[in-house]
Amino acid sequence: MTARPCIALNGLSCTAAGRSLLQIEKLDIAQGERVAIVGHNGAGKSTLLRLLSGFMPPAHGQLSVLGRELGQPLASSELRALRLEVGQVLQGLHLVGRLTVLENVLIGSLGRVTGWRSWTRCFPANEVASATEALQAVGLLARAEARADKLSGGERQKVAIARLLLQGPRLILADEPTAALDPAAAAEVCQLLVNAAAGATLISVVHNPALLPLLADRVIGLKQGRIAFDLPTVAVDEKKLLDFYVADAAG
Amino acid sequence: MSVFSIQRRRFIDRFSGRLGFFGLTLIYALLVAACFGTLLQENELSLGRNPITNLLKTAGEFARPSFVDLWLGNPQLEYRSDDGTVLRVENRQEVEADYLAGLARATWTTIRIATLGSLLGALLALPLAVLTARNLAAPKALAGLAKIILDIARSIHTLVFGLVLVGIVGLGPTAGILAIGLHSMGTYGKLFAEAIEGLDMAAIDAVKSVGAGPTQVFFNAVWPSVLPQFVSSHLYVWEFNIRDSTILGLIGAGGLGLLITEATSLFQWGRLATVLLVIIVMVSSFDAISRRIRQALL
Repeated sequence: MTARPCIALNGLSCTAAGRSLLQIEKLDIAQGERVAIVGHNGAGKSTLLRLLSGFMPPAHGQLSVLGRELGQPLASSELRALRLEVGQVLQGLHLVGRLTVLENVLIGSLGRVTGWRSWTRCFPANEVASATEALQAVGLLARAEARADKLSGGERQKVAIARLLLQGPRLILADEPTAALDPAAAAEVCQLLVNAAAGATLISVVHNPALLPLLADRVIGLKQGRIAFDLPTVAVDEKKLLDFYVADAAG
Repeated sequence: MSVFSIQRRRFIDRFSGRLGFFGLTLIYALLVAACFGTLLQENELSLGRNPITNLLKTAGEFARPSFVDLWLGNPQLEYRSDDGTVLRVENRQEVEADYLAGLARATWTTIRIATLGSLLGALLALPLAVLTARNLAAPKALAGLAKIILDIARSIHTLVFGLVLVGIVGLGPTAGILAIGLHSMGTYGKLFAEAIEGLDMAAIDAVKSVGAGPTQVFFNAVWPSVLPQFVSSHLYVWEFNIRDSTILGLIGAGGLGLLITEATSLFQWGRLATVLLVIIVMVSSFDAISRRIRQALL
């Protein structure tokens, strides 16, 4: 692939409390790629995403995300600059419950809106217009003034996606974005996520094989912190996935 | 392990909770019996010589609160000595009007003491709550010290603080304000710390994840989740203090308590009834307002 790398890992290892969480010799992900990560609980999927968003520094090795070296802990201003370009949708339904849906979407603009406007949540009109558009795109415009903690799980994930749209990141990390959703809502949220990720690199952690073709062109299987396979989605069928999960459980 | 010992183990596991509860109930019953029995033995449980007559007399005077004299009072009430000479003539209606004006001033004093005392307590408690909130992980020594200060403040009654402070700053509302402030600091500290501990870390991560700076995280995630809790706790303790400060007059801090002492020591139950009515109206209307605001906030 000739596209410039969005993510480059080299000889990376990560430990916590004496236990090895992640050991990756080499992994490159190009800008604009759509990658799904599969694996058991504890296989290191969330650790990998936390590394990529700078919420956690690696113990050893080289890690470059969007041209920034994350090998050493970053200065907090650099870390913020990185996070501006990294959008996250997490399984824990990360919204500010007490704010309205619209205000939660506007949080995506905090990288551009600074000073008193961001402290008093008096966002400029053009940002409010973009936020309204984003809500329209995910079909939640009618609930713009509702408080975020009054929403259902699916609606919350849609708000998180609208926030992504406003943030306009170059890399999107989705950690089991559909974990708490029913199959229909899961498919809908995934479709919205893919739409929102147009042009950006999308890395998602998924368990449901039915969602793989929708979310990814490339599937990486993690097993006990190591890469077990790295294949195009077309080469990963349900049987292979099932074998992978069962083998891991047996091993 | 034999089947029997396993069964026995299970029996103990299954019933140990209930046995423990039964034991506690027994201890409680013994305590109540001890309290009652010893008082009975010391002959301290008498109801006085003629409780029924006293009750009826007091209730009768209570049933005619003094403020009705504003309209029904004798405008030409004559006080005479034993031989019939007129000592003094007074207009009961005017006297009661004066009393009510005094009552209004005392009520205002009580409200001022409660309001300023509550604000003082809240401001004093804020830094201590930040130190004691477990999720903020303040240095252990400071957190321990703050917790001790809050515990002491909470366990000493407002009246005790008041008695000490009257000796220091003299009679008057200042002693009342300080007493209310120092005691409610303990309550505020606990409530504020709980509000901070209940902070939604997911909300903070959400704002952090888009690259927001610390001030932006504070104003967009911490402030909106903590502020309603703070305001709600403040209203709750303020309401409590309005009730509490009515008693402070008893120790010379001014306000309604002073009128209560006056009325009780002169056995003027009608006037006491008027004062109590004012307190009930004041407390319950403040309660209604604050409850409505708190419900709107949550």
